[in-house]
Amino acid sequence: MRAIRRGFKSFRRHPLSNLTVVLLLFVCLAFSLSMLVVKLAADDQVASIKRSVGNYGELRVSSDYILEVFEEELNKGAAQRNREARSRNEEEEIEYRARFHLPEELADAFSRQDHILTYDKVINAGIIVRGVVNSELAPLAQYATDQELARRGIEGLNRQTLGNLFVFEGNTNGASASDFLNGNKELIEGSFYTYVDYLEKNPVVLVEKNMAEENELSVGDRIEAVVVGGGRGENTMELEIIGIYETQQAERRRESILDYNPAGNKLFAPLPIVQELSGMPGYVELGSYYFDSVESTEALQEAFGREIAQGNRYEFVTDDADYRKISEPLQKVGKTSTIGLAGALGACALIIILAMAIIIWGRTRELGVLKAIGATDRQVVGQYAVEVICICLVSVVLATGAAVLISEGLGNWLLSESTEKNVEVVEKKAYTGDYLSDRKLYKEGGLYTPVMKKEETVNLNVIYQGDLLVYGILILVGISLLGMAVPVIWITRLRPARVLSIE
Amino acid sequence: MPVQEALRIKELSKVYRAKAGDVVAVDGVSFEARKGEVTVIVGPSGSGKTTLLYLIGSLESPDGGEIWAFGEDIASPAADLIRYRRERVGFVFQFFNLISALTALENVMLPMDLQAVPGSRQRGRAEELLSRMGIDARLQRAKANKMSGGEKQRVAIARAMANDPDIILADEPTGNLDTATGRVVVDILVKLAREDGKCVIIVTHDEDIVKVADRAFSMTDGKLAPHDR
Repeated sequence: MRAIRRGFKSFRRHPLSNLTVVLLLFVCLAFSLSMLVVKLAADDQVASIKRSVGNYGELRVSSDYILEVFEEELNKGAAQRNREARSRNEEEEIEYRARFHLPEELADAFSRQDHILTYDKVINAGIIVRGVVNSELAPLAQYATDQELARRGIEGLNRQTLGNLFVFEGNTNGASASDFLNGNKELIEGSFYTYVDYLEKNPVVLVEKNMAEENELSVGDRIEAVVVGGGRGENTMELEIIGIYETQQAERRRESILDYNPAGNKLFAPLPIVQELSGMPGYVELGSYYFDSVESTEALQEAFGREIAQGNRYEFVTDDADYRKISEPLQKVGKTSTIGLAGALGACALIIILAMAIIIWGRTRELGVLKAIGATDRQVVGQYAVEVICICLVSVVLATGAAVLISEGLGNWLLSESTEKNVEVVEKKAYTGDYLSDRKLYKEGGLYTPVMKKEETVNLNVIYQGDLLVYGILILVGISLLGMAVPVIWITRLRPARVLSIE
Repeated sequence: MPVQEALRIKELSKVYRAKAGDVVAVDGVSFEARKGEVTVIVGPSGSGKTTLLYLIGSLESPDGGEIWAFGEDIASPAADLIRYRRERVGFVFQFFNLISALTALENVMLPMDLQAVPGSRQRGRAEELLSRMGIDARLQRAKANKMSGGEKQRVAIARAMANDPDIILADEPTGNLDTATGRVVVDILVKLAREDGKCVIIVTHDEDIVKVADRAFSMTDGKLAPHDR
């Protein structure tokens, strides 16, 4: 206790020299702690991004394969195509239409990979619903021809029935449909269909609020959908409305009025129901997978290439590019701040060692006197240790305050420096000339329901957690120990007789 | 006051090793010093008298010989030198060696603080000692670096007396003072021997101080001989 008191008094008795050391340490420590805060925030944010981005993938027919098929069809000419169409039996017809679809068993097989956590299967189809009007499509009927509409491959679709055409989306669980997961749509009445409905093939459906109001439909009502391939309007399926949703996010594409999915006219149903309605039993449009981490992407791609790919027919598309786009600036900031942290801590170490060496050298005679009048090495070291701790503590406390003030600004400045360069790279990648390359992931709002493009910005969210306090204490202990090393070495080696007789 | 033996030095030697060759600073020195007496050792610079004083004060370790202080050989490895320095010995240096950032009072309290003497007792004794040395209350609270040489040396003597040691070792106590001030300091040291019964050993090159000595020795090239007064 006496050594502590003497050390504290000694700290107060040398205000000028101690203040100089405190100021120098403060500058370096403020920078160190700011860099540390930035690094912690960047690492934390990368970890957080890793939990939500980069861990999603879709198994689907590849863009290259679709292009190949298009080119093949174009080369055939209309007459040959009609001949072939007439000669196909029912099974061949399904296979023909399934060229752009994925066999369901492939989607199931891929789900058994080690890293896959959850998966879904999705199919979209245009289906005619008798007696229910699609108020957005109906006015377009006058601009279309029966011939053009027949090419869509939808049973019974013509100018009269265009106004009854709806997009159906099928999956294994209504609540996990992309639009509901990402908040584009919200259930406001009734309930979602469940995995049990999927397994039991229950004919249930979710409809949009505007469509329900315009057609005076409510939960519990039944609608009649025409089955594709079931004969001209003869085979229908009755579906019970079990839920009504509201659209929160506009879905219309900007580029073309013909290539959109009207906001109020999408119906959601269990996968087997949409498969049956679209005449595509056993096929899905895509398998949708969430896996454990972006780090598993490579392993999954390898597994896909080995077991599923079939040349270039299928592709496994992941959102690791999104992960990179968002995380790379943060990772760069993390690396920059680590370098800054190391440099600043090195400067702190140098300052405290040099400062203590100068202080101790200036007080050599004092040390000799203390030893000559009976102070033990431990007492003298203790006194100087307290003085060092006081210097470091004041510096760390001031620096922590400064770090809180400047770290967020500093971090975001570093982030802006890193982001600009990164965006440039990502944008260059996006324009490959392949018009299918911008196919949206289902995760982003559905293949046919792309949301309006949002500019994603990354901000560094600096949250001052307990970690900072722990690191602050560790830095305090570290520089204090370094600072103490000089007095310890000096004091234990000092021989008072050598210094006391020198003027 | 009865005279008691305080110190007995036997065949004490100290050699400093150097690249240029060994230097024998103290060469087989033997003498006795008693409580209540002033022992003066006179010699020119480099004769080894300061080294002898530091050996007696345990600030240096001898290469040979014995230093018996109150029945304990402090030259032996088993000696408790810290306790010896705290309780038995008080130093007065030529260059005062006060801690300049401390006041006169704090300088005197420091040895007691190291001995864990309670704060109030430290202050009382320090004030008493400083008053005895002629340092008034105002000066007691002045920083050591604001004092004159004579004042500093009187504070240094008070500090040497703080833990009431039996032996006062004074290394050229007048070396940095004018004649009149030096005389005052010597008078104080003599009083400490005569009135307080301390064993006072003064090493100096000032032959005049020999006049106050009960025992006087000359030191030349590390060897001690009785002073021819």
